[in-house]
Amino acid sequence: MITVDRISKSFGDVKAVKDVSLVAEDGKITALLGANGAGKTTSMRMIYALITPETGLVTVDGINSTEDPVAARARMGVLPDARGLYLRLTARENMAYFGRLQGMSEADIKRRSDELVSRLGMEKFADRQTDGFSQGQRVKVAIARALLHDPQNILLDEPTNGLDVMSTRAIREFLREEKSRGKCVLFSSHVMQEVSAVCDEITVIDAGAVRAKGTEAELLALSGANNLEDAFVSLVTEEVKTGANS
Amino acid sequence: MISRAFKTVFKKEVMENLRDRRTMMSSVLMGSFLGPLMALGLIYMSVQMGKDKAEKQLELPVFNMEYAQNLEKHLISQDVKIVTLDKSPEDAIKDKDYDVVLAISENFAESIEQAKPAKVMLYFDDSAKGAASVSVRRVRALINAYSSSIGSMRLQLRGVSPGLMKVVSIEEHDQATAQSKGAQMMLFLPYFLIMGLFMGSMYLAIDTTAGEKERKSLEPLFLNPVSRVQVLAGKLAATVSFGLLTLVLTLIAFKLTMPFYPTKSLGMTLSLSMSDMGLMLLVLLPLALLAGSIQTIIAAFSKSFKEAQTYVNLVVFIPLIPSMLLMFLPVKEKLWMIATPIMSQNIIIGQLIRGEVVTWFNVAVCVFGTLFVGGLLAWFAVRLYNKESMLFAD
Repeated sequence: MITVDRISKSFGDVKAVKDVSLVAEDGKITALLGANGAGKTTSMRMIYALITPETGLVTVDGINSTEDPVAARARMGVLPDARGLYLRLTARENMAYFGRLQGMSEADIKRRSDELVSRLGMEKFADRQTDGFSQGQRVKVAIARALLHDPQNILLDEPTNGLDVMSTRAIREFLREEKSRGKCVLFSSHVMQEVSAVCDEITVIDAGAVRAKGTEAELLALSGANNLEDAFVSLVTEEVKTGANS
Repeated sequence: MISRAFKTVFKKEVMENLRDRRTMMSSVLMGSFLGPLMALGLIYMSVQMGKDKAEKQLELPVFNMEYAQNLEKHLISQDVKIVTLDKSPEDAIKDKDYDVVLAISENFAESIEQAKPAKVMLYFDDSAKGAASVSVRRVRALINAYSSSIGSMRLQLRGVSPGLMKVVSIEEHDQATAQSKGAQMMLFLPYFLIMGLFMGSMYLAIDTTAGEKERKSLEPLFLNPVSRVQVLAGKLAATVSFGLLTLVLTLIAFKLTMPFYPTKSLGMTLSLSMSDMGLMLLVLLPLALLAGSIQTIIAAFSKSFKEAQTYVNLVVFIPLIPSMLLMFLPVKEKLWMIATPIMSQNIIIGQLIRGEVVTWFNVAVCVFGTLFVGGLLAWFAVRLYNKESMLFAD
């Protein structure tokens, strides 16, 4: 479980994120929905303890991630916005490298690699060097290496960005499986259908601040729209922050 | 304590780099063989050119030779080949036809008869390269010898001892040992050995920092539950070990090319025993840490692989500065010189090449001085990524 309490971050004079709060519960998929440049990536980077928030607090399974970022990171598996692979290593070697850095034993690395290779459908390219992989293959490897240590909390920054339908479906299916295993899944996206398709809880963010929170049905009711896209547009263009910061 | 994360990162960086054959070829092999071969080539060429000019029969174009038949006989007796000139002496030098031209003044014979100083003119280009000055020196010596032999004869005819003309006689005692002669040429040899070291670690320093940032794998890497210092330390260790590998190969390449150095022409012996080579390795080893750290720091500050490459390439020339300074600095080494990294390696390797005694004190100061500076830089390098603004390329 991840709780985010009023975190902020500025770069120079630009306030990228302002008092963002949210809770991502175990056994649920939570979305951080926002347009490009809304502050999603910066928020995510603070949540997964890569950068330190200027104000506020992030706790991961009760661990304060500012005080103990290493312990907090051990509880998380993160697919960040940057998902570069090591081109001269095979897919499995990419995964094993991160597994070792997670402190896993060689036997565990082998067992989890086999499991993820089959669950994400990577059999055909698992033992090839990653140079020349397609976008979809690359994202699968990046997800597998991030989740090799089977973390309780799964964070993904725009996971299906640039993927075709088949790859997108495979990843959605994978996230649903993880949810049913009781994992806490938090992902950021600007794609409405995606959020609509897999998410239980949605936090709408715009210009670095939270605009609305709730389930899809609650957001629709709040904005009076009949689909998520209209609801989103109405929520982010609305001056008054109805229902936000609950 | 060596942490697991450090070992994991180190192993991965070494393995990944070894898989890249092209990089291996260009940085490690080229780095190690280029230096010794370039040094050999340069020294060989300059020796060869000097030797050619000094030993070959001197071809001397003379303008108005007919005015000085006695001098002509003298020159021919000294194995000079006299050439007639079809243009003015100035043009011959300007067109680079000859290094030096001798011109006889019209009243040469007359002046000799009247026992007045007879005039000859020497045309040459003082800004020309080394080999030309050898020819000028030879012609000057020939004319001086002729002049003093005629002078002595004149005095003897008048019943005066030619010795009266010599108030002070200089007896030259050149204290250069066989090995220190021509060592001037070898002054740049340490640079060529150090150069390899820098080339060997260059690629990895860039690839593991700026390269990884550019390929967007740095952020995921730092999301693992290990401190950034450990990750960077592993990367730096891999970078340094490639520098060391190149260093060892460079010394092997140097040892292999040693028999081909024109030692006889240099008037020196270049006999480095295995223990001398070992000592060379010992003083160069700590330099690998310094080189890898400097390169890592520079690469980490760069925004892209290409930018890093530009700057890090320039670093290869840093070791050239002490080599050049040593041409002007006093021959006797001072403590500060021994304590200054790169300069100290230059001095000690120079001493080894010249066959001088290298004191253990100097070796210790050199090794610890370099380790100290290298350690400081390494300490700084592994902490670079603790700053958030260093993490992202954009």
